[in-house]
Amino acid sequence: MAKFILKRVFYMFLTLFIVATATFFLMKAMPGSPYANEAKMTLTQRHIMDEQYGLNKPVIVQYLIYLGSMFKGDFGTSFQYANQSVSSLIFPRLAVSMQLGLQAMVLGVVVGVLLGAIAAIKQGTWADSGATVLAIIGRSVPNFVLAVILQYYIGLKLGWFPIAGWGSFSQTVLPTIALAVAPMAETERFVRTSMVDNMNQDYVELGRAKGFSRMEVVRKHVMRNSMIPIVTLLGPYTVALMTGSMVIENIFNIPGIGEQFVKSILTNDYPTIMGVTMVYSIGLVVVLLITDIIYGLIDPRIRLQGNEG
Amino acid sequence: MRPKKLIASIGILCMAAIGVSACSSSNSSTSSKKQEITWMDAAEIPTMDISKATDNTSFNQLNNVMEGLYRLGKDEKIENALATKTQVSQNGKKWVFTLRKSKWSDGSPLTAKDFVYSWRRTVNPATGSQYAYLFEGIKNATAITAGKKPVSSLGVKADGKYKLVVTLDKQIPYFKLLMGFPLFFPQQEKMVKSAGSKYGTASKYLAYNGPFVQSGWSGSNLSWKLKKNKNYWDKKAVKLNTINYSVQKTTSTAYNMYQSNLLDATALDSEQSKHLKENPGYTVRNSASTFYLQYNQAKLKALRNVKLRRAISMAIDRQSLTKILGGGNTAANSLTAKNLAKVDGVDFSSTISDNGYDSYNPTKAKKLFKQALKELGVKNISLTILSDDTDSAKKTTETLQSQLESTLSGLNIKTQNVPFKTRLSRSTAGDFDIVVSAWGADFADPISFDDLFTSNNANNNGKWKNKEYDRLIEASKNTINQKQRWQDLRQAENLLLDQQGVSPLYYQGQAWLVRPTIKGIIYNSAGAKYNFKNAYVEKN
Repeated sequence: MAKFILKRVFYMFLTLFIVATATFFLMKAMPGSPYANEAKMTLTQRHIMDEQYGLNKPVIVQYLIYLGSMFKGDFGTSFQYANQSVSSLIFPRLAVSMQLGLQAMVLGVVVGVLLGAIAAIKQGTWADSGATVLAIIGRSVPNFVLAVILQYYIGLKLGWFPIAGWGSFSQTVLPTIALAVAPMAETERFVRTSMVDNMNQDYVELGRAKGFSRMEVVRKHVMRNSMIPIVTLLGPYTVALMTGSMVIENIFNIPGIGEQFVKSILTNDYPTIMGVTMVYSIGLVVVLLITDIIYGLIDPRIRLQGNEG
Repeated sequence: MRPKKLIASIGILCMAAIGVSACSSSNSSTSSKKQEITWMDAAEIPTMDISKATDNTSFNQLNNVMEGLYRLGKDEKIENALATKTQVSQNGKKWVFTLRKSKWSDGSPLTAKDFVYSWRRTVNPATGSQYAYLFEGIKNATAITAGKKPVSSLGVKADGKYKLVVTLDKQIPYFKLLMGFPLFFPQQEKMVKSAGSKYGTASKYLAYNGPFVQSGWSGSNLSWKLKKNKNYWDKKAVKLNTINYSVQKTTSTAYNMYQSNLLDATALDSEQSKHLKENPGYTVRNSASTFYLQYNQAKLKALRNVKLRRAISMAIDRQSLTKILGGGNTAANSLTAKNLAKVDGVDFSSTISDNGYDSYNPTKAKKLFKQALKELGVKNISLTILSDDTDSAKKTTETLQSQLESTLSGLNIKTQNVPFKTRLSRSTAGDFDIVVSAWGADFADPISFDDLFTSNNANNNGKWKNKEYDRLIEASKNTINQKQRWQDLRQAENLLLDQQGVSPLYYQGQAWLVRPTIKGIIYNSAGAKYNFKNAYVEKN
């Protein structure tokens, strides 16, 4: 197990290094400058500004400096927000996106598991069809469409929850629901398939032969065995949700990271682009690592493969 | 009606878990007793540092929490603010302003020194002000920004505590307008020094002297407040206690909030503007911006042909273009934006002679196009129109493509939509055939537009060159005679449009809904747009 984890951690750092390098050079290839009003600046101003931002050094030197300061957790100063450090821009916004993402994840998974289990146990009944239809709708309606509908009917017309904004818990309800629908549908399908699969296994027969009721077998064994695959699903989903959805954030006026990232790309705010990309990547590889480790702990078969391959 | 059980129970569970009580939105709706309004901007504030601001959002904030020598009133009317008296020398090159006694928001006195400090800081190349070019004409400013002269040589000095003396290299006809622009407002040295690199990055890192002080802005957040400034010299005139600002990026959300009284103003997109035209709060805000086509005359021989440029311009149906774009956009037949500057009570843009080249005339366009093809000795021409990748920019290029191709047979148009920054850098590099450009005036004077197309101007990306034009613009800058100056500018713009050096498309306007009970907001299309100093909520 230790060897397996070490190997994983090494790969993780390698991945991050490649991401950092690729992002840096791709960004340098982008046209345009970070200055808003370049045509009106004197050459002297340009030189001084370039020097302040370290843009006058050879690209390779910039790259090394950038890697070095990133190790210290310093992402530099933003271009679009004068004199503001990228960290001070990213982290408050990231916290918001993470809270929203986690809420959506929890809601989506809980409801998804419930629906999936009902669908599996009541196979072929109206409950099964109902859950499946819900899942299909959840998969096919884009979350921003749902967001607009929720905002208009529940926020404006009925006034149950605030239309938009961030600060109180009630303001998080509508965006959470809008974001939760996709993982809910995904989990529902996953759990249903996995449970139906498990219910046809021999051990169910055995349990029934031992005199347990069907429900008892399902509760004690089938459910537990069916939950394993969900672990795989949770990792990437959590990251995807926590990194913020630009559209949802814009619709509900949420000060999250999603929209900021897009804006930094549009304004050539190099340090912010790099900062957000790296934070995203770190989040993703760490979650994947944790998923792998949990998986290895739950399911011995995987650990064996990990040692071999 | 009850919410779905599921949602309700999950909501209750979560609330119990996190330990918060569900309270409704923290925004309070406007009540006429409170003299409080809720306003929106479409973007976050990039900076509150006067020397570093480059955008409308920042300038709007600064115009309400800071104050300079003058404040722009209704229709760009110049009103005394910190200046109580202005003396100008015979040749217009020396200005002496007498300042009133006033205070910074921390209670310390504001003196002429604060102006000197602020101006020097802005022209200092090390500050990196991207708006320092507006100081051109103030003694030595250009040389200082170019790093050729020391900052102390700038033509501004304090004569005692309450006299500010400004020396110009040459007279600046629009100098008073500039003095009403936030870039020329004072800054408190003590605050700049103590805040260091944090200066202007959050509400607490700024000293205020305007009708309002800002609170609750942390650098990149989406809501903040402007509160009445207790230390403002004219606080009796300020009626609003609070302006709650929030950033709204989705027009449908903003409109929903307007309907539930959580916002008192909302910008409308083109679809909404078509539906809400009859609403009592419907208001069009012009932004002193003109969209126009630049033809790359350095790169393509064909575009140096004046008949081709005229044909293209006359094949464009600007009325139907602005209909498609919606909002408050209107067809343009001058470069200088509509209602930007009045000359003897008449809008300057309406005095530009109508040569017919900027209006839709397919018959004439076809004829001219045939002649142009003949002169160029070709059978057909292919051109690419470059523009931004925003919704309205895409609509614009699509419309131009279909109008031009259907009117002028033998003309093939391709469109290219790229991000704003890419469009700018390609324009500057001359990497385009035709580009849709836009310019918004910094101050309410036609020179802000007409200066763009002199031979060596950095914004003249199509490289249209005309000696007579250059001469007229130069003359307008050096004459003391106002009448002559208007004459020069008018002639220059007539010449530019006769030659179709650029082709105006439309004047930009944004449709808004503004709560009708709010009175006294002053909006100017150029420079800092909003002035809330005298705004109030009407008591019902």
